[in-house]
Amino acid sequence: MIHTSNLHKTYGHGSGAVHALKGVELQIETGEFVAVMGRSGSGKSTLLRILGLLDEPTQGDIYVDGINIARLPERKKAKFRLNKFGFVFQEHSLVSELTVLENVYLPAICSSHNNEYIEYARELLEVVGLTDRLQHYPGEISGGEQQRVAIARSIVNKPKILFADEPTASLDEESSHIVLDLFSRLNRDMGQTIIMVTHEPEDRKYVDRVIYLRNGAVDLGGAPLSPDLLN
Amino acid sequence: MTPFFKRYKLALFLAFKSIIKGNHWTLALIIAVMAFSFVNLIFTSSIISGVMATLDQQMIDTMFANIVLSPEENEYYIEKVDELLPKLEQLDGVAAVSAHLNSTAFIEYRWKEKLSQADRGKSGTWSVIGIDPNNEINVTSIHEHLVEGQYLDNNDRDQVLLGVEVAGGSRSQTPDFLNLGGVHAGDKVRLTFENGIMREYTVKGIFCAREMQRADHLAFITRKEMASVFNRQVFYDRATQILVRTADGRGEGSIIPAIKGTGFKGEVRGWDEYAGAQHAVIGTFGVIGSVIGAVGLIVATIVMFIIIYINVLNKKRQIGILRAVGIPRDAIVGSYLIQALSFAGAGIVLGFCLINFVVHPVLAAFPIDLPIGPLNLKVEMGRMVISAFALLIASLMAGLVPAVTVMRENITRTIWGV
Ligand SMILES: Nc1ncnc2c1ncn2[C@@H]1O[C@H](COP(=O)(O)OP(=O)(O)OP(=O)(O)O)[C@@H](O)[C@H]1O
Ligand SMILES: [Mg+2]
Repeated sequence: MIHTSNLHKTYGHGSGAVHALKGVELQIETGEFVAVMGRSGSGKSTLLRILGLLDEPTQGDIYVDGINIARLPERKKAKFRLNKFGFVFQEHSLVSELTVLENVYLPAICSSHNNEYIEYARELLEVVGLTDRLQHYPGEISGGEQQRVAIARSIVNKPKILFADEPTASLDEESSHIVLDLFSRLNRDMGQTIIMVTHEPEDRKYVDRVIYLRNGAVDLGGAPLSPDLLN
Repeated sequence: MTPFFKRYKLALFLAFKSIIKGNHWTLALIIAVMAFSFVNLIFTSSIISGVMATLDQQMIDTMFANIVLSPEENEYYIEKVDELLPKLEQLDGVAAVSAHLNSTAFIEYRWKEKLSQADRGKSGTWSVIGIDPNNEINVTSIHEHLVEGQYLDNNDRDQVLLGVEVAGGSRSQTPDFLNLGGVHAGDKVRLTFENGIMREYTVKGIFCAREMQRADHLAFITRKEMASVFNRQVFYDRATQILVRTADGRGEGSIIPAIKGTGFKGEVRGWDEYAGAQHAVIGTFGVIGSVIGAVGLIVATIVMFIIIYINVLNKKRQIGILRAVGIPRDAIVGSYLIQALSFAGAGIVLGFCLINFVVHPVLAAFPIDLPIGPLNLKVEMGRMVISAFALLIASLMAGLVPAVTVMRENITRTIWGV
């Protein structure tokens, strides 16, 4: 349901230019839980941000259900992010002026037709185990709890695809397990499509499939590298 | 709900939370800046309007009353005054009338001490007005401004009333060589009129109306005395001007036609037609006041702009997150506009309260004494509305520009700063 064709991203110009993505081709089906792995600097975050419409590719297309979303105007992209995508960042990404509950239902204020979203946000916070923190502000809860709030927020609009960029990188082992268990439960019980960047080899046990990035392109595992990737 | 209202609601929600959870010192600072900018915009112009109103009132009270009747063109005098006055008094809206017989005189003090004929010290030429004191006190307020001695009586013949700028001394504003150098009540002065008649008078009183331009430069004797100086048989029934005081709250506009309707042949003018020069001077100050106000507005805009800009920059990452989540641009920008408008609104209300509940009462309790009288603030509603409007527009711009600037940036750059 999401596939890319010849995705390129170059940061900067001239001699200082960094070619972060070099023709990424990938395809992910509905209901898959996919990990994106690779060395530091291989382009994982870049890829995820471009897929999630937070940044623009220098070249190439991204199709979601047949629509080329890379070519949409910014207003439509925002709509796509709001209604079809969810994003969980590595570092804390909650709105500090809003309570835990408000953070979760924030994206739903604009997209839902009635006030049921508040109830739904409560349910999601129950799923992530934070029922007793609803009225707290982000500064008053731990990093792992913040990350669970961010996950609840990312799925409040029932997105087609959930993107997560190293969601456990700043968490201790126990919190990491809680978050990853949450992801696999969402995937298993609700059929949530998830694309998650990770650098923990252990995390492979949670996912259906791993996409390896190497030097800005998908490493097909033993397949011969194309000539332009050699240099 | 339509999408528009949802976005509006979201903008309100974000703005409200931002104000509630934001730094309260910043909030207080912003509102204080707005309030003082507003006071500044109002204050200067109110002082100028107040001075203008004071000067106008002084002109009415000491010089012209409300309406001035003067002779026909090519005539020097209004004739048959004794018939005319009762007719005028009966007109609806007329409170009182008083006839003036004007002349000029060379006035000397201590003329016996003069060394030679060429010594012009302690003398000068001033306007002398013959009045009927009993009528005059109902028309002008000179009698309330005596600083020495007494006002004239109807039957006084050898008494003169001097303005403080004629008498001179420590109370006068003009330099000594331009006045009589310090005459007091009871002193004798000598007047030489236009027709060469020379008479000695006792100074009965000295007045200081604080109308430095004109009134305080006058001398008064009774109209009877003035008529006798010229030719009592002819002049007893003549006047150079007749002043008309209107009843409280009655404008000149309706009464002037009524006066003309009595068959009076001469000129009839409202006091304001005599105020042209003074209004031109004050109008100049009005322009200066507007320039000061405009500069104040620009400074206020820049200060607001800086504060709101810093506020927005501090929340840049937050804005990036809102955008990443897919919050519509209108809702984000809208929330900053609502915040800016709230700051301005609160500032305007606070400024309004400062003017009405602090500045006004304080000035009432401790009046600032200007040379023309106590400082009197005249806050004009129109000025208030324009200033409030200008501040609102300025704050809208101060809110809009930084928010839109941040919205233009790449999302990844706003969140991760690269
Ligand atoms: N804004 C940017 N400007 C210039 N170069 C950038 C920018 N962002 C990323 N890069 C470069 O692009 C390449 C890919 O970066 P990216 O962040 O996607 O790597 P990554 O796989 O996520 O690495 P990590 O595992 O360390 O997070 C790197 O060489 C990086 O230095
Ligand atoms: Mg990364």
